[in-house]
Amino acid sequence: MKKRFDFSTLARSKVTWAVVAEALILLVCLFVRPDFFKISYQPTTGMLYGNLIDIVNRSSEITIIAMGMTLVIALGGTDLSVGALVAVSGAIALKFLRWDVTIYNTPGDYTVYPFILVLFVPLIVCTLMGLFNGFLIAKGDIQPIIATLILMVCGRGIAQILTNGKQFTTQYSPFRVIGQGSLFFLPMPIIITAVVIALVVLFVRKTAFGTFVEAVGINRKASRLSGINAQMIIFIVFALTGFLSGISGLIYSSRIMSNDSNNAGLNFEMDAILAVVIGGTSMTGGKFSLLGTVLGSIIIRTIVTLVYYFGIASEATMAFKAVIIAVVIVLQSEPVRNYFAKRGKAKAMLANGGMRG
Amino acid sequence: MKKLLALVLAMVMVMTAVSALADTFKVAFSQIGQESDWRTANTDSIKNDVGGHEGWELIYDDAQQKQENQIKALRNFITQGVDVILFTGVVSTGWEEVLKEVNAEEIPLILVDRMPDCINEIEYAAAFGGDFVEEGRRQTAWAGEYLKAQGRGDEEVNVVIMEGTTGADAQVGRTKGNLAGLEAYPNMKVIAQQSGNFTRAEGQALMESWLKSYDKIDILIAQNDDMALGAIDAIKGAGKVPGKDIIIVGCDSVKAAFDAIVAGEMNATIECTPLYGPFVVDAIEKLQAGETMSKTLLHPEEGVYDMDGGIDLGTVVSVKAADVIDQRQY
Repeated sequence: MKKRFDFSTLARSKVTWAVVAEALILLVCLFVRPDFFKISYQPTTGMLYGNLIDIVNRSSEITIIAMGMTLVIALGGTDLSVGALVAVSGAIALKFLRWDVTIYNTPGDYTVYPFILVLFVPLIVCTLMGLFNGFLIAKGDIQPIIATLILMVCGRGIAQILTNGKQFTTQYSPFRVIGQGSLFFLPMPIIITAVVIALVVLFVRKTAFGTFVEAVGINRKASRLSGINAQMIIFIVFALTGFLSGISGLIYSSRIMSNDSNNAGLNFEMDAILAVVIGGTSMTGGKFSLLGTVLGSIIIRTIVTLVYYFGIASEATMAFKAVIIAVVIVLQSEPVRNYFAKRGKAKAMLANGGMRG
Repeated sequence: MKKLLALVLAMVMVMTAVSALADTFKVAFSQIGQESDWRTANTDSIKNDVGGHEGWELIYDDAQQKQENQIKALRNFITQGVDVILFTGVVSTGWEEVLKEVNAEEIPLILVDRMPDCINEIEYAAAFGGDFVEEGRRQTAWAGEYLKAQGRGDEEVNVVIMEGTTGADAQVGRTKGNLAGLEAYPNMKVIAQQSGNFTRAEGQALMESWLKSYDKIDILIAQNDDMALGAIDAIKGAGKVPGKDIIIVGCDSVKAAFDAIVAGEMNATIECTPLYGPFVVDAIEKLQAGETMSKTLLHPEEGVYDMDGGIDLGTVVSVKAADVIDQRQY
């Protein structure tokens, strides 16, 4: 039997409203500057070229982190250390590429240590840092916001120490591929993000893992009593978030072919949390939506691209972003969703011939 | 008897050593801590020049970006009875109390790089800082003069200005200077002004959008080199040639910008020097000689570096970057 279209459940879903918000933003663009949507082929880079591509491309770093953040928030926590881990990841990668800048003093198409170390050591270190967060939270029973604050504060310091406070640059072409290369006419970060999303969704939804996360997020004690190893779940989720921050850091540093311990990943934790919230996952934990998060991240990046594209004055940028985000959040609020859901129901009833029983 | 003699001799030696120590001229420097390549070069310059000066002893304190550490350091300097204090504040507010304590002890204070808000309420011997407005003026003036030199002085060109972090001293000053500099060149029209937050990544993303939003961009004025370097990749991504299709002028003169200029991907960079050492040494020597200096902010000499050199900006003539790249310290 075909499931009947039900407006009321659709209207109650936060994800729907995230879609509506994104559609509204793009609709405004369409009226103001139709050429915003132009996509062309750029023969020199072999990639598609256009604002929509940019939005998805530039949202990659946040989307990847926000996949982990969704699970963290579903557990009822937050991870503030992700931005600092982005800086750590980039610093390690550039450290292996350049090692000692006094010996290898000009950046060029070379790497001092094998490329495999450049790729995997940052990911391993970030995973370990994620595990450290998980350890404090699961074993130490420290609130996530406090536990992850530690690495948020000292992570950048670690990145600074690794690179002696210097900004290394490189021109090593295999490293460039991560952030600036292309595959199937698309920028590489989009491909990497797509793979990450697919793997996380498969892992979470095709196994019982997602259900376990929700159970722990709703009531940790109850979930333990029902036989779920809550500590293990927390370990895995924080380690995964660390690992994903590491990937994000590699993309970030490959885009600029350098490490930037002060600015890499700055405020990423806030953007990632915002993406998760806009995507319809509640900060109180429990149910979560990974695809909603992807959408949330894209909405955030759409706003930034709009600001750039329409040349909104730098002084007004923050206010502009705040207004749009406020509108999105209000659209998703309980009363608004209920209002539309009720109206939908009433209409459906009218269509069925008025009130019955 | 021998033992006694040895003892006396040893004591005399200790005494002379102590008195020699007391005689050294102590210069204390409270630096904000590590922050960027620029800051590292700034610290090294002062450490080497002041610390290496004959008869002077440098007491250096790294505040690790914390105001409370700096206040502690300043109070320590007072109890140690130093002769001069060099001071760069991590933030601009909240210094009045501790700097007045320094004034009360009559220790000469030299303000370096960053000026505290209470500058009019305190006593200081000298103040050194960058001239952001002049740097901004030089950026646009360089572009205007370069166009003239290319025989494009009358051509209508579109300029985009990539600003620093909104509200930062450097952003406010350089923007003011950028616009003032443009007044002499009516052929140059500003079509966009936005913040790239002084970072490579944001400079890159901003340029990426600008290239799609505006069909014709001739000149990019980036208020620091990092944003310019980020923009270079975005320009390449759009299938254009940085340095040729779009003229790029940066600011700060970091090593990476020199590399880009020599590679022909960037056109010019306006110096914002961190090398305050020689100026500070000069000021301290004058203080020792009993001279007083003017209370106005003193600016260190700064250059302009570009692909070919020889562009005259009135206050300075540009130098070919390739000729001096080997001497760059940061």
